[in-house]
Amino acid sequence: MAANFWTSSHCKQLLDPEDVELVPAADRERGIMPEEFRLVKIHMSFHIWRLAQQVKVRQRVIATAVTYFRRVYTRKSMSEYDPRLVAPTCLYLASKVEESTVQARLLVFYIKKMCGSDDKYRFEIKDILEMEMKLLEALDYYLVVFHPYRPLLQLLQDAGITDLTQFAWGLVNDTYKMDLILIYPPYMIALACIYIASALKDKDTTSWFEELRVDMNIVKNISMEILDFYDTYKIDPQRGLPDDKISPVLNKLPAKS
Amino acid sequence: MGDGRAGGANRPAWLQQYELVGKIGEGTYGLVFLARLKPAHPAPGRRGPPIAIKKFKQSKEGDGVSPTAIREIMLLREINHENVVKLVNVHINHADMSLYLAFDYAEHDLYEIIRHHREKLNAPINPYTVKSLLWQLLNGLNYLHSNWIIHRDLKPSNILVMGEGEEHGIIKIADFGLARIYQAPLKALCDNGVVVTIWYRAPELLLGAKHYTSAVDMWAVGCIFAELLTLKPLFQGVEAKNTPNPFQLDQLDKIFKVLGHPTVEKWPTLANLPWWQNDQQHIQGHKYENPGLHNIVHLPQKSPAFDLLSKMLEYDPRKRITAAQALEHEYFRMDPLPGRNALLPSQPGEKIVQYPVRPVDTTTDFEGTTSLQPTQAPSGNAAQGQSVSRSMPRQMPQQPMVGMPRVAAGTNMAAFNAASQAGIAGLNPGNIPMQRGAGGQSHPHQLRRKADQGMMQNPGYPQQKRRF
Ligand SMILES: Nc1ncnc2c1ncn2[C@@H]1O[C@H](COP(=O)(O)OP(=O)(O)O)[C@@H](O)[C@H]1O
Ligand SMILES: [Mg+2]
Repeated sequence: MAANFWTSSHCKQLLDPEDVELVPAADRERGIMPEEFRLVKIHMSFHIWRLAQQVKVRQRVIATAVTYFRRVYTRKSMSEYDPRLVAPTCLYLASKVEESTVQARLLVFYIKKMCGSDDKYRFEIKDILEMEMKLLEALDYYLVVFHPYRPLLQLLQDAGITDLTQFAWGLVNDTYKMDLILIYPPYMIALACIYIASALKDKDTTSWFEELRVDMNIVKNISMEILDFYDTYKIDPQRGLPDDKISPVLNKLPAKS
Repeated sequence: MGDGRAGGANRPAWLQQYELVGKIGEGTYGLVFLARLKPAHPAPGRRGPPIAIKKFKQSKEGDGVSPTAIREIMLLREINHENVVKLVNVHINHADMSLYLAFDYAEHDLYEIIRHHREKLNAPINPYTVKSLLWQLLNGLNYLHSNWIIHRDLKPSNILVMGEGEEHGIIKIADFGLARIYQAPLKALCDNGVVVTIWYRAPELLLGAKHYTSAVDMWAVGCIFAELLTLKPLFQGVEAKNTPNPFQLDQLDKIFKVLGHPTVEKWPTLANLPWWQNDQQHIQGHKYENPGLHNIVHLPQKSPAFDLLSKMLEYDPRKRITAAQALEHEYFRMDPLPGRNALLPSQPGEKIVQYPVRPVDTTTDFEGTTSLQPTQAPSGNAAQGQSVSRSMPRQMPQQPMVGMPRVAAGTNMAAFNAASQAGIAGLNPGNIPMQRGAGGQSHPHQLRRKADQGMMQNPGYPQQKRRF
C-alpha cells in the first residue's frame, strides 16, 4: 500500500500502452487524431507545470497532478472534461493529497495572470470546486501515486553515481510529458533515466545494471521511448508547444458552456 | 463507485441503493448515518447489511472537499485489513457538493463498551476481552505502521467493535481523518491547525516535538490499555484552549504525576524539546517522586500486563515498544489467550455481556434536516430500541432514539476490488527488487547516438534536503 508499490492501487491500475493512447470515442467523433490527443496532453502537462511554478509547490505535487490528468483521459473524453479546467483542478487536488494545499482562489488568480488574454483558460473558483468532485469520481477515488524520484535517488546512491542526480532528475521530470507513469512501475522509469544519463555522461554502469536483475529489455524500451520523445518534439522547456500547433486541436473541443 | 448524477428532484441516483435508518453521529466535518443496503432481491422481512455513511460537507471557506475527507479516502482506498474499518463505497452529491463515505457498520466502539462497564455494570471488562481487544488493536496498528501510516488520533471512540454476525467482537480501527503516510518526517499537528483530544497525546508532542513517529500511536494504545483495565481515562488533563501552541501543561502534569518526571538520562532528546527548554519553572519545577502507575491500574509490578503497559508508556519515543514487538509480548502468550471474538464470555457458561446498540436518531435525513415526526422505525427492533434508554450519547441532540436491531452477518459488498492484504512492506523503502546476480546484457552507451538532441531539462531540481 502506501509504502509498498506492489500492493498499491497504482500498481494495479497500470495500463498497456495501447489503452493509454486510445482517443476517447467522443473526441474521435470531433476529429481529434491520436497525435493531437498526445499534443494536448503534452501541452497541458506544461500548463500544470507553469501554474505550479506560480503557486510554488514541490515537484512531487506537479508529478501527482500530471498523473491524475493523464489518468482521467484514459477514462473520460476531452469533449466532456475540458482539459483547460481539468489541468488546474488536478493541481488543486494533488496539492491536497500531497499535504500542501493551494487555495482555489489563488489558482484562479494565477490562471488569469498567465492566460489573461485567452478566455478559454479562465475559470471561476466554483468551476474548479465542481470539477474537483468530478475528478475524484473519474479517478475512482484512487489518489495515492508513486513517482520515480525516490527510487531514483536510492538507485543513484546504490550505483555510486550521485553526480548524475541533477541530470537524471531532469529526465524524470520530462517523463511526465509522456504517459510512462501510467504504464510502467516508477522504479523502472527511474532506471531508464539512469540508463540514459549514464550513457550520455559516459558513466559505465553496465555491471551495476547486470547485478540488479531487472528486465533490461523494459529499461531499454523505456529509454528509447524517452529519447524518441525528445527527438520528435524538441520542445522549448520554458514555453512548451507553440500556440499554432495546439490551438487548432483545442478548437475542436466544445466551447465552454 | 457512486454516480452523483441526479435521479430526480436533485437526489443522486446512488441514494436509492440505501434505506436510511437515521443519524448515529455528528462531528466537525459533518454527520454519520446508519443505512441499510437494499437487498438485491427484496422480500418481506429480508434486510440488507447495515452501512455507516459518513457525510462530509463542503468546507465553508470555499475550498472544496475537505483535506480530512481526502486523506481518509486516499488511505482507506489503499488498505485492507481485518482490524481496519472497511470503506465499501464513496458517493458524491453534485447538487450540494457533499461527499459520502460508506463503511461496514460496527455496532460498538471502545468508548461505549468502557462506558457501559463503568456506568451500567459497575464491573471491569473481563481479562479475556481486554486482552483480545488490545491484541487486535495492535494487530491493526502493526499493519498500518508497516505500511508507513500513522493514525494520530487513536482514542476509544475511534476504535469500533463489530456487533453480532460473522465478525462479532472484531476490532476495526476507524477515523483516518488525521492519518498520514510518513515516508517523509511529518510536521507537527499545530502546523496544520488540527486539534485532537489531548488525553491520548504522547509526551513528545505535548513538549513540542516537531516531527512525528509511529510511537505517538503506541502511547495512545498504552492509554487505551489502561482505560480498558480501569474504565477511566488514564491522563485526564484539562485542555488549555486558545493557545497557539501544542503546549498543554495540565496534561503533562497528569502524566508526570503517574509516571514520575522524565529525565534527560532516560530520555536524552528531551533536552531538545522546545517546551522542556522554555518552560523551566513549570515543567521541570515540580518533582513527582513516586511513580504510581501500578496502583492506578491495579496490576502487580511484576505482571506481564504491567510490563507491557509500562513499555507502551515509555517516555522516550525511540525506546517505546512498537506494535510488532508488543504483539510478541509474553502477556499475549499467557492464559487467557487473545481470541478473534473479543466479546465472547471468558469462560464457558459465563454470561455474555449484552452491550447496548448505537442509538439512532431517526428524525434526521441525509441532508441533515430534522423532521418533526420521527420517521418510521425499522421493523423488529422496538424492544431492543427501548432498552437503549441510556443517558445522552455524545454529540447527539435530544431526539427520539431507536436502537439498531442486531445484524445477521457482515456485508459482502465488494465494491472495491480490494487487494488481498498479502504483502506488507518490508524494509525496502523503494520496493525495488534488488536481487543481485545475472541480468542485463547490453550497454547503455549504445544510446549515445541519440545523445545531444534537444533535451528539455526542467530546472525543477530540488534544493538540498528537500523532501519528495
Ligand atoms: N463504520 C462505523 N460503524 C458504526 N459507527 C460508526 C462508523 N464510523 C463512524 N461511526 C460513528 O461515528 C462517529 C464519528 O465517526 P469518525 O469517523 O470517528 O468521525 P470524526 O472525525 O468526527 O470523529 C464514531 O465515533 C462512531 O460513533
Ligand atoms: Mg472520531
